[in-house]
This record gives sequence, C-alpha cells and structure tokens, in this order.
Amino acid sequence: MPFQAPAAGVLLPPYRILDLTGPEGVFCGKLLADYGADVIKIEPPAGDPTRQRPPFIGDRPGPERSAYFLFYNTNKRSVTLDLESSQGQDLFKKLAASADVLIESFPVGYLKSLGLDFESLKTGNPGLVMASITPFGQTGPWKDFQSTDLISLAASGFMQITGDPDGPPMRQGNEQSHFPGAQHAAAAIMGALFYRDMQGGPGQYIDVSMQEAMITYYTDAHPALAWMQNGENVTRVGTNSTLVIPLGAYPCKDGWISAGIITPREWENLSQWMFEVTGNEEILNDDFKGGNQDRAPYNDIITALVIDFTTRFTSEELFHQGQERNLVFIPVNTVSDLLSDPQLEASNFWFELDHAEAGTLKYPLGVFDSDEVSPGTKPAPHLGQDNHAIFGVELGLDENELASLRSQGVI
Amino acid sequence: MTSQALPKKALAGVRILELGPYVALPMTGRILAAMGAEVIKIETNKVLDEMNFIPAWSRGGGQPEFQRAKKRVTIDVRTPGGLEVFKELVKVSDVFMTNFRRNILDRWGIDFPELRRLRPDIILMWQTGLGGIGPYYTYKSYGILVQHMGGVSLMSGEEGEPPATINTSYSDYHTGVFQPVAIMGALMRRRLTGQPATMESSIFKSGALTAGPAILDYQSTGRMPQRIGNRDPYSAPHGVYRCQGDDRWCAIAVQTDSQWSAFRQAIGNPDWCREDAFASLEARLANQDRLDELVGRWTAGRTAEDAMACLQDSGVPASLVSQGKDLYEGPHLKAREFFRPTPFYLADRGKPAWEWERAAGVSSANPPKLSESPMDFGHYSNIGEDNDYVFKEILGMSQAELDILTENQSLF
Repeated sequence: MPFQAPAAGVLLPPYRILDLTGPEGVFCGKLLADYGADVIKIEPPAGDPTRQRPPFIGDRPGPERSAYFLFYNTNKRSVTLDLESSQGQDLFKKLAASADVLIESFPVGYLKSLGLDFESLKTGNPGLVMASITPFGQTGPWKDFQSTDLISLAASGFMQITGDPDGPPMRQGNEQSHFPGAQHAAAAIMGALFYRDMQGGPGQYIDVSMQEAMITYYTDAHPALAWMQNGENVTRVGTNSTLVIPLGAYPCKDGWISAGIITPREWENLSQWMFEVTGNEEILNDDFKGGNQDRAPYNDIITALVIDFTTRFTSEELFHQGQERNLVFIPVNTVSDLLSDPQLEASNFWFELDHAEAGTLKYPLGVFDSDEVSPGTKPAPHLGQDNHAIFGVELGLDENELASLRSQGVI
Repeated sequence: MTSQALPKKALAGVRILELGPYVALPMTGRILAAMGAEVIKIETNKVLDEMNFIPAWSRGGGQPEFQRAKKRVTIDVRTPGGLEVFKELVKVSDVFMTNFRRNILDRWGIDFPELRRLRPDIILMWQTGLGGIGPYYTYKSYGILVQHMGGVSLMSGEEGEPPATINTSYSDYHTGVFQPVAIMGALMRRRLTGQPATMESSIFKSGALTAGPAILDYQSTGRMPQRIGNRDPYSAPHGVYRCQGDDRWCAIAVQTDSQWSAFRQAIGNPDWCREDAFASLEARLANQDRLDELVGRWTAGRTAEDAMACLQDSGVPASLVSQGKDLYEGPHLKAREFFRPTPFYLADRGKPAWEWERAAGVSSANPPKLSESPMDFGHYSNIGEDNDYVFKEILGMSQAELDILTENQSLF
C-alpha cells in the first residue's frame, strides 16, 4: 500500500491491518484502530469466540452484545473467513498481499501449518509487517507451553508481588496480562512501519512474548536485580507498602482511599492534619519524622493511626482537601466513579458510540487529548459486516464467487 | 535510498527531547531510543530524578531500565542560561516530551506556544499524572497511587478483603508504552501533511482505559465488577496451589473438558477425579473449595518446577509463580537473552554524578524482537555523560561558552 496521509483530524495513516488475534492481542489492533488504522478483524464464519463471552448488554445474550467484544473491537471492520479451508487460505493470501500489517496470537507454528506464516506471505508482499503476540514468544524451551491470563500472570512474576504477604499470590483484575504484550506490539508495529515508509526499509517480522512484556510492566520492583545483587526474591507487601510509610490503600467512609507520603515535608503536613482532626498527639512523635523509610519500624502503629484518620472522611474529601495541604490522596475508583469523573469528562476521554444492537454507550477512547487529532468513533463491527466491501469491492470478487464461498462456509 | 545506505534503525534521524522524571515518560524515551531515535534526556545534578536512587538497597541499579540508549545531559532549566540552552535544543528537535505539570512549566518559563514558535513543526507530548487540563490540572500525584484511580484495583483480590494491589505502578507502564505509538504516528502525519501535533496524556487515563468491558456492563446493567480472587467463572480448577519450599506456588488453569482429562492423567487419575462432583465444568465450579483442596494436596508434594513440567507435558496450562531467581536463572528467558548485564552508577546525594562509582547490574531487553530493525539494548550513560556531544556537536557551542555556563550552574 502507498504511504498515504491520514484524513483531517486523524493521527495514523489508513494502514490496512489484518487482525487475527484472540484475547492475547486484541488490544493491539484496538489501539491502532482507535487512532485511524484500517483494522480488519478476521473471524471464523461462526464468529470470534469472544462474541459469546458474558456479560452481555442488558443481560441478553447474542453475538453482537458481548461487552468484551464491543469494548475491544471499536473502530475495526469485520470479515469472516475459514482459514482452515484451502479456498479460505487463498482468499487470505490475497488479503495479506494488500495489507500493511498482520497481527496474530495463535499457538506457535499454527499459521505455518496452514502455509500462512511470514515467510510464505512476504513473497507476495515484501513490505508486510507481521507481529505475533504469544505467551512465551516464538523461541525458547517454553514456546509451546499452554497459557491463560492466570498462567501469564504467574509466569511473569506479576502475581508474586500482588496480594497479601500472608496469603497466596493474587491475580490482578481484568486480565491484565493481555495489555503489556499488545501495547509493546503496537509500538513495535509503528516502529516497523516507520522503518518501511520513512526510511525505505523492508517489511519485517516481530516476535512479542507476553511474559517478557509483563516483566517490563513491573520493572520498578526489580525482581532480577534483587536476586542478582542480594540473592533475594521480591514478594508481596499487601495493600500497604513496607518501604514507604505510609503508602497504600486505606478504608474511608465510602470505600477506599490511597495515600503516599514520599517527602519529609509531606509527613509534617499529614501528621499535623491528623492531629487537628483526631486530637491524638501520638502522631506528632519525633521518632516518626524524617524520610519515608525512617518510619518503617513504626509501620503498624502509624497504619492504625492513619486508618483512624481516613475513616472520618469520604474519598472525595481526602482527595481535594489533601491537595490543599500538598498531600497526595488518590481515590480508589470504581467503574461508576470513572464514568462520573470531572477530569475525564473535561479531557475528552469518553466518546458515545451508537451500536445497532448494544445502543448508545460511553467508551473510553481518548487515551490522549489533542486539538489536532482525535480517535475514531465507530462501534465494534457486526459479524462479517464488511465481507462485501472488502472481498467484493476491494479484492474484486464477483457476486457468483462470493455466493459460492458463502455456500461452502468459507465466509 | 540504496540498500547500503539503509540504517538498521527504524527511527534514525529523529531527535527527541525528554524532560521529566519517574517511570512513564522515561519508558517512552527508552523505547524510542531503542528504535534508533536520538533521545536527549535532560536532568540536573541539583534536582535529580528520584529514580536515580532506586531501589534504595542498590543505590540506583534500577535506573538503566529507564534510561538505556539515551544521551544524558545536565541542564538546570530553572536558570536563565539553562533555559536558553534548552530552547536551542528545542530548535533542533523533532519531539519535545515532558511530564511536568503546567504550574511548574510556567514557573520555569517553558511555554508550549513559544516552543512552537521556536520550532514550528515540533511534536509535543505532554504527560501528567492526573491530566494537564481539567479540574485536577494543578494536582500533585504519584504514579503508584494514580493506578488506583483506574478501576482495576477494585477488581483485584478476594471479595470483602482489601483490594489486592500490586507493589509497583503498572499504569505508568501503560502510559509509557502507549506514548511511542502516538509519537511515531504524529511524526508520520507530519511528514505526510506538514502538520505538527500537541498531545496530552495522563497516567489516570491510561489506567482507566484498562478498566475494560466492566465500563460497558455497568452502563448497561448497573452491575459492578466482582472480586473473585484467583478464580474464574469459566474454569476449574483455577488458582495458585502451594508447592514444596518457601513461598512456592504453581498456577493451574483448566478451561476445557479435554484439559480436565489431561489434568487427570497427569496427576495419575486418583479416585477423587472420577467423582460426579468433578465430572463437568459446572460440577467442578460448584465444588471448587474441595477441588482446590485436593489439587493443593497434589502440588504440596512437589516442587513448583515439577508440578509445572508434569502438567505442561500433558498440555495443561500451568506455571510456577516466578520469583526473581526463576526469571533471572530460568532456562526460557535465558535462551531468549532477556536479562542482560549492564553497568550502573552508585547514586550519592553528596557528590555530582560524574563522581559516582560504576557498578554491575542487570537490565531487561526490549520485549519486541524485530527481524529487520532490531531494538537496540543500548549503552547506558551516566548523568551528564553526553554533555560534550550534545552541546558541542549538536549545538556547536565552544568550550569557553560551556565553561561559563557550567561556572554559573546553568549546566550542572
């Protein structure tokens, strides 16, 4: 495809990106689609399995009503194609010959078994960029291991530092293992397209291991460095830090509030405020003064005093009143808090998308705000809604060919 | 361009100016530098990025993770002389990115419209904790707390217990890894349309984006996401199980009936596996407490490594819960050369950075492996190590000029 300017108000060139990913990579295509790439989701004729994932909009099941599918496929187009049939493979090769990028997350070697690996596809399209997002990457002794979100959270060590020190390692919510690999892949795809179109380079293959990507998402816990330098394994510290005192999540009148005291000045401000509110002089103890780690021996007593203080306020009161005292109290938000947050509202984070079956809902699309460019506003596609436009109009198949493919269950 | 002239670096020829501490913004710079951009990281010996000191026990061994492959210069932008040098760099840069709040940038005299007058086509990436515009724009924040605003903390942990927070600031990384996408896109768009862009991002927004489908479900049904610990509504057994050794665990996730058969075979098909109570997914979900106890008895007699190998050999999703030792010494990441040796410099608040001693540490590689323009692991510069290159070769300043600016603390 020629290097083509984005439309007015759009960030990315209209790159054609074929998205064959499952949950491991679905966020990658979404990011690129939301900012202007032409991402085509290729689904089996029965539909992407995540279309069957609960919860459904209004609790009414249906392939166009899965909250998961609707969330992760905004601004994409959809075609159906049976990759396991020889006609489907031929059609896929035509599509790949017209594409800038292919993203996939199949088990290692699956596409090769269909004759659709990078080496085969690039002969028809030397500029093709292909990215594979898999649990352990394309090489190494674990490459064929089975994985799920939980397994990726475990293998990366993310769980090792999530949860209570006296309890088991804990899973972080909302399938966090599916973000880091997808985001690194999106950056790498942009780099590869930049190389091709800005420098005149060839297409290329990109191998992303979710395990490695996840390790980079908790770099500041330093698991490898701690082992190498000290022979120690970093572990869970629970809701509250044992290194920075106080730092963590504390109960308040209407839920949870998080707080962190990093500088000596902040401790002065907090202890004075706590004394004003509780009348308890204990908090003014000189032993508690100083840097954030100087309070480590008094963690338990300070935490108890902090809870006595925070439970007298709502989350909002602590958030705003804290700032007046140069203190960082941050609400532990629920999804309903997010939807009513004035800051998100003011910075063009939410976009109302109207979907024929799911209705009008607010979607978080404005991950950055700009006067010059904004995200696309197309809701997730209906199953195969673009078969005619893509196979017929763009690839030039005539009505008879389309009908034949349809009757044989290829599309 | 002939093939001989083709660089192996995707972003060769792109110059990026980075002003700001902590995690997210430096991560963005690291990724762009690894792709071949010349990323100039501005710091000052007078107000050091706290990340130069972390983790405290190693006095700075963590910093190479965030600053690899960058050119590191010392400019005190708070001084008139420093501000002038900064503006000269703006004139020769394609991108300026910062994570300071507006009130601080105002105090220092860094004004985006003025930067655009100095360099009309510059791309601006402005990242803050809570948002650069809007009601919280002056608010102070820390990434490790802002992650709790995103909604995911209250989806983690056991019902009725405190949120199971992670001892890091993962939202920072969401921001840091997303921003290169936007910056590269803006550079392409500039080439194609001639137009620059200003983009404003926040750790709050990046985190809130990952709250995911629950946002739609809440609008549709009013339902809040439930916290279900390590369990899963569609898999059983599903959790972490204690193994031999101190704090050793194996995660197991049995999603399908065929995986359940494989699991049974792998553990020797004991009598309890054949009970009706575990015959179907529905039954296993209904009897999870007992199922977990029985699976835990099997893992308790094994090392996490053995449990994982035994189950994976049979095609059952399983993994030990990796600790630092497993990551650093384990065969898989070793084969992929993920962790690599690096020097770092022992941070000392009492001395200027060029007197800090060199020490041996470790950094992770950039996860994406690109076949034609591989990401560069890169040299790790100490603070100010690249002053001569940047000030003399890029800006063409003389030694005499540098001496004056160093003398009056503009470049220190």
